[in-house]
Amino acid sequence: MFDFIAYPMANLILLLYTFLGHSTVAAIAALTLLINLLVLPLTLSQQRSARKMQGFQPQLEKLQKKYAKDKERLAQEQMKLYKEAGINPMGGCLPLLIQMPIWFGLIGAIRYCIPSTPLDLFGFSHHIYKWLPGIVGLVPLHSEFLEMDLGQPPNPAQWWSYSLPVLVFVTSWLQQKLMAPPTTSDDKSQAAMMSQQMQIMMPLMMMFFTLQYSIGLSIYFVISSLIRIAQYYLVQGDRSGEKISSKWQVWLKQRKQ
Amino acid sequence: MNRSLTQRWPIALAMLAALLLGMSGCAGGSARPTSWTGLTVVGERLYVADLEQARVLNSADADPLWAFPKDPKEDKRGVFYAAPAVGEGYVIVTSQVPASGFLSQSKNIIWALDRDAGSLLWHFDGAAGQYVEGGALSDDIFVIGNSDGNVYALNVENSALRWTFETEHHVWAMPLIVSDTVYIGSMDRHLYALNLSDGKVRWDFHAEGAFAGTPALRDDTLYIGAFDDRLYAIDAHTGTERWHFAGENWFWGSPVVYNDTIYAADVNGNVYAVDAETGVQIWHQSLDAPVRAGPALTEDGSQLFVGSENGTLYTLDTADGFVMWSRESKGQVLSTPVVSGSVLYELLISEPHRIRALHIDNGREIWAYPYTVEE
Repeated sequence: MFDFIAYPMANLILLLYTFLGHSTVAAIAALTLLINLLVLPLTLSQQRSARKMQGFQPQLEKLQKKYAKDKERLAQEQMKLYKEAGINPMGGCLPLLIQMPIWFGLIGAIRYCIPSTPLDLFGFSHHIYKWLPGIVGLVPLHSEFLEMDLGQPPNPAQWWSYSLPVLVFVTSWLQQKLMAPPTTSDDKSQAAMMSQQMQIMMPLMMMFFTLQYSIGLSIYFVISSLIRIAQYYLVQGDRSGEKISSKWQVWLKQRKQ
Repeated sequence: MNRSLTQRWPIALAMLAALLLGMSGCAGGSARPTSWTGLTVVGERLYVADLEQARVLNSADADPLWAFPKDPKEDKRGVFYAAPAVGEGYVIVTSQVPASGFLSQSKNIIWALDRDAGSLLWHFDGAAGQYVEGGALSDDIFVIGNSDGNVYALNVENSALRWTFETEHHVWAMPLIVSDTVYIGSMDRHLYALNLSDGKVRWDFHAEGAFAGTPALRDDTLYIGAFDDRLYAIDAHTGTERWHFAGENWFWGSPVVYNDTIYAADVNGNVYAVDAETGVQIWHQSLDAPVRAGPALTEDGSQLFVGSENGTLYTLDTADGFVMWSRESKGQVLSTPVVSGSVLYELLISEPHRIRALHIDNGREIWAYPYTVEE
């Protein structure tokens, strides 16, 4: 279904592999970086939107108090506020939606470059761009990384292979935590609870995927989350500095007392 | 309306993710027990590795003689593929038992069965990867490659491990045993010559692409294709290259030799007849269909059979490559057809009938197995 993405991605992995010392992990890491650069405008817009929403936190809290007993009205007023401020509360979905075909494309690309079955390999044999330099004879790529097979899912015989899905969970949770839409401290609304649940659900879902899919995909998820976290701090810039500074001052005050 | 959208988007997104993942049908790294039927013909019997059973059929009418396991619904032994190795009194087959739970691992097993009754003699489950092609027998040793990168040599009497040889990638090729030497290609781009007795390397030949086929031997020269689009002629004693012939794409299946000519097909469906001494092309026929397996020859060397992914079986005249007849089917022909006397056995996947016996002269169907097809 996603072969129209998977084949070009697989060829890109092959090309990166030739330029990066025939290292499959380095090729996957470089591809992750390229994909993240490609969707950078979207993620930046998502992060700016999140930052903008944080700026409206006091107004949101006021609305929360004012319409505490009328949830319907609260939602209407919140939407009105978002509309006036030019914020799309669903803006966070778009980068994720766009990324999904990329994930599936990547799953396919890894399957073709590091195949576990002859049928996968045979299918790819007619879609290799032989005009790319150094491509002939590369497939299947060297699949060993820390004694794990990048083309295979984690398995009990190599207990350390489960560290990658765990890393996927941790880095994804951190990313979700940072980028989740803000909720007020006393916000007990369904939306707030769902938002909090999603901060756990999404990383759990990703960990579940990576337990069943190739280790190469875990590497993509981990690096991708780390890039997003770094991006977030770069976008936050002075604002995060302010946060840290204020937290530091609070801590100093507590020490003096 | 707005409220429900803003509140429910995380759930909708999670559901969409699950749906897309299901739709993608991408089993990722999970080893899927999907492959072609393995067939070996010895005398009047067909030894078949197919789906959940290893079976023996009567070659005249495909009448089943025995099956292992007898009832695969009750006695699950995994999915069988790769051509069985048939020795004196035993048949050796391989299967993959899929992972049963979330954190479990699939098992890859070699089974030795009694040749007449199909009863289990022994099994070996020491390999970590899938067996893609079958193994080769020589007296009391069974040699087979595995996706875990190792070549295993087992004692056929009791499954005792005689030796293992480690390569740097999957071993998907069937070995060729000649006298006291095992020739086996690996995805690590090496063709190895190993001592049959202890697995020590005699020589190894390094190509620019992976080896997934079995070499063909003529006099003291091995002929084998690789994923670097080349067909190689290699000195069987020293491992030095004599010549290579460039095709259009990978050579996956094994070439065949008759007199002074090598016949090989690349995955693009180009069939080549090449001079065995010089590597010069004699003729070329383009079938315009993907071809995975190597061709098969009639015993008199006059006809060449090539199966294709689009389900068509082609019969070529070995004199000039002219297509004498072809036969279409709904499935895919991804394994080398087997010729025995005047009968050709075509192995199909993605089709209800798994084996079809055809007359070599005109492709007329003699029988198709199984007779009745479960919907």
